[in-house]
Amino acid sequence: MTFAEYAWLIPIFPLIAFVVVGFLGNRLFKNWEGGAPIAIGMTAISLVLSLAVAFEALTTGTGTPFIQSLEWIVVQGGEFAFTFNMGIYIDNLTALMLIVVSFVATLVVIYSLGYMHEEGEKKRRYYAVISLFISVMLGLVLASNFLQMFIFWELVGLCSYLLIGFWNTRPSAASAAKKAFLVTRIGDIMFMIGLFVLFVGFQGNLDFAYIFDNVDAFVGGNELLTFGTLMLFGGAVGKSAQFPLHDWLPDAMEGPTTVSALIHAATMVKAGVYLVARSYPVMVETPDTMLVIAFIGGFTAIFAATMALNNTNIKRVLAYSTISQLGYMFLALGAGGYIFAQQPEFNVGYAAGTFHLMNHAFFKALLFLSAGAVIHAVHTEDMRLMGGLSKKLKITSLVMLIGCLSIAGIPPFSGFWSKDLVLEAAFAGIEYNSLFILLYAFGLITAFMTAFYMFRLWFLTFSGEPRDKHAYEHAHEAPAVMWVPLALLAILAFGSGFAFLFGFESTLVPGLMDFHPHEAGPIDLLTAVFTNVLTYASIAAAVLGIGLAYMMYKKRAIDPARFTSGSVGKTLSNVLLARYGFTKGYDWIGLKVVYGTAKVVDFIDRRLIDGLINGISAGLIRSGNFLRRAQTGFVQSYAAVIVVGVSLIVILLFLVGGVI
Amino acid sequence: MFENIPILSLLILFPLVGAIAAFMMGRSPKAAKYAALAFSAIPLALSTLLLTEFSLTGGFQFVEKYQWISFLGISFHLGVDGVSITMVFLSTLLVFLAILFSWDVEERLHQYMGLMLVLEVGVLGVFLSLDYFVFYIFWEVVLIPMYFLIAIWGGVNRAYASIKFFIYTHVASLAMLLGIFALFFTTAPLLQADGLIPADAIGTFDMLLIADVAGGLGEMLQIAIFGALFFGFIVKMPVVPFHTWLPDAHVQAPTAGSVLLAGLLLKMGSYGIIRICLPTLPEAAVDFQLIMAVIGVVAIIYGALACLAQSDLKKMVAYSSISHMGIVMLGIATLTQLGIAAAVFQMFAHGLITAVLFMVCGMFQHKAGTREIPMLGGLAPKVPILSTVMMMGFMASLGLPGMVGFLAEFMVFTSTYDAWGVWVLVPIATVALTAAYYLWAMQRSIFGELTTKIDTKHLHDAYWFETVPLAVLLGLIILFGVWPAFMLDLITPSIPMVWPLSGVI
Amino acid sequence: MIPIEYFLALSGILFVIGALGVLTKRNAIVVLMSVELMLNAANINFVAFSSYYGNLNGAVFALIAIAIAAAEVAVGLAIIMNLYKTRDTISLDEINLLRW
Repeated sequence: MTFAEYAWLIPIFPLIAFVVVGFLGNRLFKNWEGGAPIAIGMTAISLVLSLAVAFEALTTGTGTPFIQSLEWIVVQGGEFAFTFNMGIYIDNLTALMLIVVSFVATLVVIYSLGYMHEEGEKKRRYYAVISLFISVMLGLVLASNFLQMFIFWELVGLCSYLLIGFWNTRPSAASAAKKAFLVTRIGDIMFMIGLFVLFVGFQGNLDFAYIFDNVDAFVGGNELLTFGTLMLFGGAVGKSAQFPLHDWLPDAMEGPTTVSALIHAATMVKAGVYLVARSYPVMVETPDTMLVIAFIGGFTAIFAATMALNNTNIKRVLAYSTISQLGYMFLALGAGGYIFAQQPEFNVGYAAGTFHLMNHAFFKALLFLSAGAVIHAVHTEDMRLMGGLSKKLKITSLVMLIGCLSIAGIPPFSGFWSKDLVLEAAFAGIEYNSLFILLYAFGLITAFMTAFYMFRLWFLTFSGEPRDKHAYEHAHEAPAVMWVPLALLAILAFGSGFAFLFGFESTLVPGLMDFHPHEAGPIDLLTAVFTNVLTYASIAAAVLGIGLAYMMYKKRAIDPARFTSGSVGKTLSNVLLARYGFTKGYDWIGLKVVYGTAKVVDFIDRRLIDGLINGISAGLIRSGNFLRRAQTGFVQSYAAVIVVGVSLIVILLFLVGGVI
Repeated sequence: MFENIPILSLLILFPLVGAIAAFMMGRSPKAAKYAALAFSAIPLALSTLLLTEFSLTGGFQFVEKYQWISFLGISFHLGVDGVSITMVFLSTLLVFLAILFSWDVEERLHQYMGLMLVLEVGVLGVFLSLDYFVFYIFWEVVLIPMYFLIAIWGGVNRAYASIKFFIYTHVASLAMLLGIFALFFTTAPLLQADGLIPADAIGTFDMLLIADVAGGLGEMLQIAIFGALFFGFIVKMPVVPFHTWLPDAHVQAPTAGSVLLAGLLLKMGSYGIIRICLPTLPEAAVDFQLIMAVIGVVAIIYGALACLAQSDLKKMVAYSSISHMGIVMLGIATLTQLGIAAAVFQMFAHGLITAVLFMVCGMFQHKAGTREIPMLGGLAPKVPILSTVMMMGFMASLGLPGMVGFLAEFMVFTSTYDAWGVWVLVPIATVALTAAYYLWAMQRSIFGELTTKIDTKHLHDAYWFETVPLAVLLGLIILFGVWPAFMLDLITPSIPMVWPLSGVI
Repeated sequence: MIPIEYFLALSGILFVIGALGVLTKRNAIVVLMSVELMLNAANINFVAFSSYYGNLNGAVFALIAIAIAAAEVAVGLAIIMNLYKTRDTISLDEINLLRW
């Protein structure tokens, strides 16, 4: 291992960019695109190093991870000795994530050069924070223990908060940023509890290497471990926007489109999937957790897809699509783990989840960035004001078509391969638990809906007659700094799926204990895929979806209004637009329940406690006021009291006798 | 090389000299300002020296002991261990920065500076003394300058706030005094029996000697003494329901006063519990464990909820102190090394963070003329430095990793889980609540559309004497967040000294 | 030799006159004079007992009391003078600054 020795530098370079761009003042970068060249340069260096490290890990990897760490905190003596480490842990999964993150990040930063050009002085803040994000995201990927992962997990959340609220003078952006942070914090609390369970259960050691090798050393029984892994997954639910903590992601589209592409599609929201995949050796010990993961994933997939069906905001459609696709990944991982617990040769689920993670990162980044190019051209996110743009935006429409074909799952585009694997994993689960019949059905219906809404998006945007003449007139193709990254991503969105044929599964899987990869050549795999009837089911679902979209939005053979005219259709449509009431529900919990309780507490504080205290003090003051009446100010009356008092004492002494 | 220098006495002496000098500079208040800065810089330098010279083996170091009133067993006994050294460093740092931050005070400047230094004398004395009598004297000394700082330089309702502060803490310290006397008289026979004091002595006020034998007292007596001392300390911390003096005092106090009140005075309470209650009366501590945990949790949640309801930025920060000191209490309540070390670290972290927060509130008051959140809005583009600092402070306070508050909170909750299992779910809800009130306050005060309720044309961003202390504090917040081992290595070896776990439970 | 009871009776009468004067008179000077009467009643007692027991201690006390009384009159008169200067009256009815 030579390059891996320097892997710790990977997050350092963007961090340097953050410090330089963020703290060296506006003046220095006024004529320099707000420090963009530094951000791009540092990210590119990281990319090169990442690729080298990843290549090395994937080709020479023997299944044993490369680990480097230094002690961060050592607590010794007493009854509780433990060490927190900071380090890097590189196996094939890390390598995969490194490639995805640094590659997409580099392209997005370059793309920003064009997209953010008009932002003026705010650009510096943008490039600083996005550099910080890239740094901490790479740190998350490289983390060597759960605590370190949690630390970076929180920091990516911070960057997400800062970038969603980039246009912070817009109230909606500030509100969306807050919502994103708070909702993911709910997940973070669960993550923390999961960490406590592991920390105490594994006697104060949170290192991946130790835990994965000593899963049996957990103290507290399998039920506690199940609780712990469920809580870890709770963290993933928050970060990856799964049901019921999904509602922040559509709001997060208030940020710049580049941010949506990088953070809320390709990298940060994948952290939850990465967490589950990373802790697979622990997770598979608890099949109940795996079942929950599969169910939440499958349900979220179909649940989010429905909301994308009738939305008219181009970015929101993509956001729902992201939630739905993340659900696919959890479905695959959960199903795979559930089966694995009973049949330790099964590795399709794990491969499917991570494979879809990679492919999705490429095609969803592509889709978001293309959408960004469209928005850049027409200055609106409302698809009702677009249309016919393919004449003006030739490249954009082409690359977006590739992205749509890929996500819809049309062979040989990348989405096809991984989606097929996901569905295969879900189908395989039927043998073990009949719940998977439902989940497989969810997956298949989602595939149909995905194809439909993506092509609805494409047709509404690019085909037909322009619905807003003015915007159409002013639309122009994106500059080269924008379309070149798009083209690169399009190549990957088309081609990354072929990794499957060339040993993706057998490369990735050996990082895990007890996995037995079957070695198979491309031809075998190809035959396996295309002789399976399930493959044709998913292709059929995709083609049906595209066909329906074509009929409705291109040929206009079916009027879309038909579905919303009836009272049922109207209600349904409104429910979807209201996101099943989740937005209201969150607001209700926040404003009514929590804020209401806060008001009650405030009342107790002001009226009850302070009322009691002030009441005591007022009582004392009042009795003092009463008693001070005795103080008349006439010396003679005081003297009279003295005389009377002395006389009384003398008389009393006489009466009692004895002294005198 | 420093063995022969009475460094701890000097630490107390320099601010005292500075205070006297400042009080006498009524003719040239400007000079008093520089003198105060110089005389607070020296203790800061000395305490930094102390940090570097302190050996990581734990135990009391740099001990000084001079007989004072020998027939009552009173001696001027000073010493530092890992718990107090963090507090000493925090005290000298915060006083120095608070003086710098008050650079633009004009009214009765020399007295203001003098009082700040008297406050430093008192606080340092509390953290350094190892004799109950000296401890109590310094404890009361702290009260007076803070009372005057609020009563003279405070806001509109300062008379109410300052008297409330004084009465609350004074009543509490009377309870504490009773506890000290009880310890003094009841331990005397035990000390005589062990030959630790002469047979004809009335008793001793020495903390370490008393701690040696107090375990031999009867259990009911221990509980009673613990209760009296504990009451004295928790009012100072403060915990619900003895907390209402705190928001009032903070809202009325001048900025530097708030910084020292929250940064140092609150710590005296928790420090007292760690230094006195636990090691002296360990069996009673076990009896009180559940009570401590409950009041800690109540303070955490109650404080956080109260924050959410506030419209005054400074009052919100004041309530957040209650919540964060509740975390300290919870850490102490676990009675484990990890928990108490985390509690001490949280005290240090809270001292740094809350100083930033109160400075930010003070700047809002100063520049925008109001701290009412509904009056503010959209100020981020107008005052970028202030907004950035505010955001960093809030993020530190809500426990963002990479900043000093995270690890402390995390360790407290870890030890809570260790001690009580999934009950940790209750206090950990504060992680979300804290984020909620901070983010919401930020959203309403610096984000969104620019407010029209105040004059925003002449808003001035931070001045140098405001930027410098804030930059120093934020630098330390990040430094100790990235490298917490530095402080934890100091603290943890001293915890067994504080809490002799072996053979108690 | 005159029996001691006579002296005691005289001093008792003087003391009661003085006390009544202090309690009832409004004029500050008269009150001051009444205070002197009470003092001298006490002095008579001292001297009487001194000669009765053949011990000079009582006489010494009386002498000291006279000296102190002289000083006290000076202070008292000075206060009354100042009162008169500032308030144009020495009537005790109108001097009640020490009121609630």
